[in-house]
Amino acid sequence: MPISDNLKDHILDSIGEGVFTVDKDFRINFFNKSAERITGKSRDEVMGHFCKNVFRSEVCFTDCPIAIVLKTKKIIYDFENKIQCKAGNMKPIKLNAAVLYNENDEPTGGIVSFRDLSELETIGMNLQNETNFHGLIGHSKQMKDIFQLIEEIAETDAPVFVQGESGTGKELVANAIQKLSTRNKNSYIKINCSVFPQNLLASELFGHVKGAFTDAVKDRIGRFELADQGTIFLDEVAEMPLQMQIQLLRVLQEGTFERVGESVTRTSSVRVIAATNIDIKDALKNGKFREDLFYRLNVIPIEIPPLRKRKEDIVPLARHFLSKFSLYYKKQILEIEEEALNVLLNYSWPGNIRELENVIEYAFVRTTKRDVIEKSKLPPNVVEAASNGTITSNTKQFFSDSSARVELLAALEKFHWNKTHVAKELKIGRTTLWRQMKQFGLTK
Amino acid sequence: MSEMLGNQYFMARNYSAAQKEFEEVLLKYPDNRPAKKKLVVCYTQTRRLKESFAYFLDIIKTDIEFIVKTDTIRDDCPCAELIEKLEPRSTNYLDTFDYNLTLGIIWLYCDILQSKHYFTKLKKMEPSNLDIEAVCVEIDNYLLKVV
Repeated sequence: MPISDNLKDHILDSIGEGVFTVDKDFRINFFNKSAERITGKSRDEVMGHFCKNVFRSEVCFTDCPIAIVLKTKKIIYDFENKIQCKAGNMKPIKLNAAVLYNENDEPTGGIVSFRDLSELETIGMNLQNETNFHGLIGHSKQMKDIFQLIEEIAETDAPVFVQGESGTGKELVANAIQKLSTRNKNSYIKINCSVFPQNLLASELFGHVKGAFTDAVKDRIGRFELADQGTIFLDEVAEMPLQMQIQLLRVLQEGTFERVGESVTRTSSVRVIAATNIDIKDALKNGKFREDLFYRLNVIPIEIPPLRKRKEDIVPLARHFLSKFSLYYKKQILEIEEEALNVLLNYSWPGNIRELENVIEYAFVRTTKRDVIEKSKLPPNVVEAASNGTITSNTKQFFSDSSARVELLAALEKFHWNKTHVAKELKIGRTTLWRQMKQFGLTK
Repeated sequence: MSEMLGNQYFMARNYSAAQKEFEEVLLKYPDNRPAKKKLVVCYTQTRRLKESFAYFLDIIKTDIEFIVKTDTIRDDCPCAELIEKLEPRSTNYLDTFDYNLTLGIIWLYCDILQSKHYFTKLKKMEPSNLDIEAVCVEIDNYLLKVV
């Protein structure tokens, strides 16, 4: 059944993300309540105004996210930016942008959703102690191995190549490596290589001089120069055009590059962390990714398993997101009822942790009368897909069918790692519990 | 090709990039007046005055109000800032046809009387120019109507 415009507006008004839409002239024609809260500007103040005059961001003139989507025809995720608030201060945000098309496939407007990064950072810092490893969460053996590897390699300058499906947390792994590295006091620059067309990507990475191409209205420093003595995170690196791959290879081999439109050779000492969500073997086989570049980047490979292959991480991740949204929405919902947990455990999570986070937020927003997430509040498509998949009758069944390690972990999660309660539940002594936890490598 | 992308370039004052987008839009939709109106301004900034004037004439012959009623602030029209840059030019340039034509065109987006001033000058410079004459007639007719 299609939902009414009123209900859509109500949903958009109840979410924590700021959302606004613009028409094809870039005049704002929708502005939700969270956008009002984040910017301090009321809907009446901004409706009908050009977005550049409302947000007064530098990128409005250089890298307008909607213009990037128009050029590349790809939705932008997690684009970091700063916008001006009503008080005049610039606020860091993280945004997603997409373009709306009519039936003739012509752009008719754009939609941007954004979060207050300073708020997210504060929440992130508050929750840092609840994570297992510098912002990462995982009790599975695969994740523990990754944590150990990160610790071992963090202090070297060797390039790292992170592989994993979309939403598995590649950027968080990169963040953890940077945080533990000797370069952690220097700049940390991130760029998503897939969102820029070839000419713009060269300019983003290496900078340009005025007049180098149509859009080059003034000199601009590139990300490699900005990252000098620090770290650069090249997300979606396998989407980089082949011509650009040659230039990147040269930076990796010699540490030199030129700004677009200039012949002066510049140098930069940068540690490169690259990531991709595509099958790199296929990309190499099809000639879409240069082998020489791959071997340069792949000095330390890290492969993050999809969430469906480490189901024991689902519960702690879900709990973490509940804590996050409790702080974000300022309401306390810290539990998930067993039936809802079964759904989460039986679902295959094609969108991985990002999807899990969205599902928890959806249920969180919809939970208004109780302080526990119920199955009925989960997205219907997830509930349906979970019931069509491999079904386990209940949480206990799932855990008992899995290894003893998973069973123990489930009990620990159930009692929030209170060992006295866990030992009582499992009818074992605290010493035995401690020994088993050690044996399975289970630490909070 | 995208009118929306052209609008973004125009907003960012990147006239050559906007021009390219609007040219393609007009190839597909020759009657797209908003694209035409912005393209007039783009051409004045990329030294393609002949094309600018052709579209300008086309618009004012059919609906001069479409340009005259431009709200510089509400419509984010760059003409006021362009005039500010252009008017204090060196004296050598002041009496050229192109200089006066550029100002005549872009003043119409901001102040019809200033535009009339420049087109009157142009009429004196080229009395046999029928297109300039046509603009003067349109401006006079409009002023008569609103007064």
